[in-house]
Amino acid sequence: MITLTINGESKQLDVTEDTPLLWALRDVLGMTGTKFGCGIAQCGACTVQVDGQAVRSCMLPVGAIGEGSKITTIEGIGATDAGARIQKAWLDLEVVQCGYCQSGQIMSASALLAATPQPDDKDIDAAMAGNICRCGTYVRIREAIKKAAGVA
Amino acid sequence: MKRALGIAIAIVIVVVLGALGWFVVLAPGPLDFAGGQTVPLAEYKEANPTGVPGALANAGLIERGEYLAQAGDCAACHTVKGGKPFAGGFAFKLPFGTLYSSNITPDKETGIGAWSDADFLKAVHQGVAPDGTRLYPAFPYAAYTLMTDEDVLAIKAYLFSLPPVRAATPPNTLSFPFNQRWLMAFWSAFFNPNERYRPNTAQSAEWNRGAYIAEAMGHCGDCHTPRNPMQAMDHRRKFMGAVAAGWKAYNLTPDKETGVGAWSDETLAKFISTGHVEGYGTASGPMGEAIDNSLRHLKPEDIKALVVYLRTVPPISDPALPAPRTALASASPKDGTAEADARGAELFAGACVSCHGWTGKSPVLAIATFTGARAVNDPSARNVAQAIVWGVTRETPSGPAVMPAFGHAYSNTEIAAIANYVTKRFGAVPSAITADQVAELRGQASQ
Repeated sequence: MITLTINGESKQLDVTEDTPLLWALRDVLGMTGTKFGCGIAQCGACTVQVDGQAVRSCMLPVGAIGEGSKITTIEGIGATDAGARIQKAWLDLEVVQCGYCQSGQIMSASALLAATPQPDDKDIDAAMAGNICRCGTYVRIREAIKKAAGVA
Repeated sequence: MKRALGIAIAIVIVVVLGALGWFVVLAPGPLDFAGGQTVPLAEYKEANPTGVPGALANAGLIERGEYLAQAGDCAACHTVKGGKPFAGGFAFKLPFGTLYSSNITPDKETGIGAWSDADFLKAVHQGVAPDGTRLYPAFPYAAYTLMTDEDVLAIKAYLFSLPPVRAATPPNTLSFPFNQRWLMAFWSAFFNPNERYRPNTAQSAEWNRGAYIAEAMGHCGDCHTPRNPMQAMDHRRKFMGAVAAGWKAYNLTPDKETGVGAWSDETLAKFISTGHVEGYGTASGPMGEAIDNSLRHLKPEDIKALVVYLRTVPPISDPALPAPRTALASASPKDGTAEADARGAELFAGACVSCHGWTGKSPVLAIATFTGARAVNDPSARNVAQAIVWGVTRETPSGPAVMPAFGHAYSNTEIAAIANYVTKRFGAVPSAITADQVAELRGQASQ
C-alpha cells in the first residue's frame, strides 16, 4: 500500500512503487483531469505539483514521492491562491482552444506564479517551455499569466 | 646524398626498433603492476579465483556458463539491440571501415553449431577460427585468453543450450591493409600471451578473484585503458580512461580527483552493480549496457572482489578532467545563464528540465540527477552529447528507465548548444563542443 496526500486528502493506493503517478491518478483514483500526452516527460500534459513544484507525473514513480509530500492536481489547484488567479485569467482571456494540454499548462503556470509572483518574459519562457500546445495558444497563455500576476 | 639516405634509413630503423621495444618487448602485461610471485592455477593453495562464485557452487554446467557469459559480457557485442540473443551483426564503426560481430548461436551454418570444444577454445584463447581465419581483436581474446579451459567450455555449453538462430554475419567493410586478416597473426604474437590466469601469491584470494573478473572476464581495460599505436592496451596507463565506441570510459584508477579514489567501497560497489549512485551520476552509453548485461548479474561477493582489485591499480590522473563539482546548480533558470547561452538554455528548458531540473537534481527519477556525474564534469562534453543524440536506456531495480534519443529531433548546432549549457550549468568546467564535433561523434558510436 502506498499513501499519497492529494489535494489535501490522504489516499491509500494498492499499486507497486514503480507505478507512475499519472497511472495512479487516472486509472486507480479516477482523477482524469490530468492528461496523458507523450509518456516521456516531453509534452507537459501530465503536469501536477509536488510540494508546489511542477512535475511530469508520467515519469514520476509513486515510490519516489515522500509520504509527507503534498500533491496538487488540476482538480485541486483552484483552492490555492495562485491557481485561482490563473484559472480566472484563463477564463477571462479564453485561453483554451481544444483544451487537452491546458490542465498541464495551468499547473505549470500556477507553480510559476507561486514561486515568482511577478514573472517577466524570460521567467515565463523557462517555466512554460516544456508545456506544448498543438493549438498554439502560447500567446494567450503568456498574456493570461501576466494578467494573473498583475503585470499586464 | 647516399650518406644522407643511409642516415635516414638508420633513423627509421632505430625508431621502429625503439617503438617495438617500448610497445612490445618492454610493455607490461595487464597484471604486472601488482608485483609479487605468480603461480600456475594448479599450484595455488588459496580459494580458486576462477569459475563461478560460492553462491553458484552447486549449479549445473549450463547455469555456470550463463553466469560466466554474463561476467564476460558476450552479449555486449554479440547481441544487437532488439535482435535475437547472440545472433551477432553488431557494427563496430572504425575509422577504416565497419566490422561486424559474429553469430555465436549453435546454428550449424551461420553460427558456431559445428564447432568442437577445441575449436571454441582456440577462438577464445587465441583469436583463431576453426578454418584458421584470424579474428580481429575487437573480440577481446587478449583478455579472454586468461580464462580457464573449464570456464570457456562452460560458456560454450551455455551458448549451445540456446536456440540456434540462422543469421549470416554481414561482410566487413574494412579498407586495405586492415582487411588483411593474416596480419592479426603478428598482432597476436605481440599482444596476446596466450596464457591462462596465474594467481598472485602476494595478494589475497579475494584480490585474485577480482583480478580474474576484471581481466579474464569483464575485460574492463578494453574500454578504460588507452591503446598504443598498434591498438593494443597500453598497461602503463592502465584504467586511466579512454575513448571507446565514441564514448569516454572514465578513469577507474584510485586517483582522488579524476578517478574513483574518493569513492567509498560501498559507493563503488553500488555503482558497479547498479550503474547509479546519488551524487556520482549514472552510467550510460556502453557502460550502462555493461551494467545491464553483465555487472548487475554478478553476485555481491564478486562485486566486492572487483572493488578490492580496483583499489590496488596504480593511481593515474586524467589531465583532461577536473575534480567533479558536487554542489547543486541554482534553482533559478536566470542564474548562470548568460546571453551567449540563450539557445542552449531555451532548448534545455523545453526538452530537458522536466526530468533533470534546473538544479540538476531530478524532480522525477533519481537516475536522471546530474549532480556529481562525471559526464557533466567532462569539459569535452563528449558523453553529454552522445547521451542527447542516442538517448539512454537502462534497466533499474524498479524496471526500465529511458531518456529519449534527440539525435533526430535536433541539429548538431542545437545539440552542441545544449551540451555546452549542461556542462556550464552543472559541471566544474564549461565545454565548448562544436556542431562539427557532434557530427563526428554521431559517426563514432557503435550499434
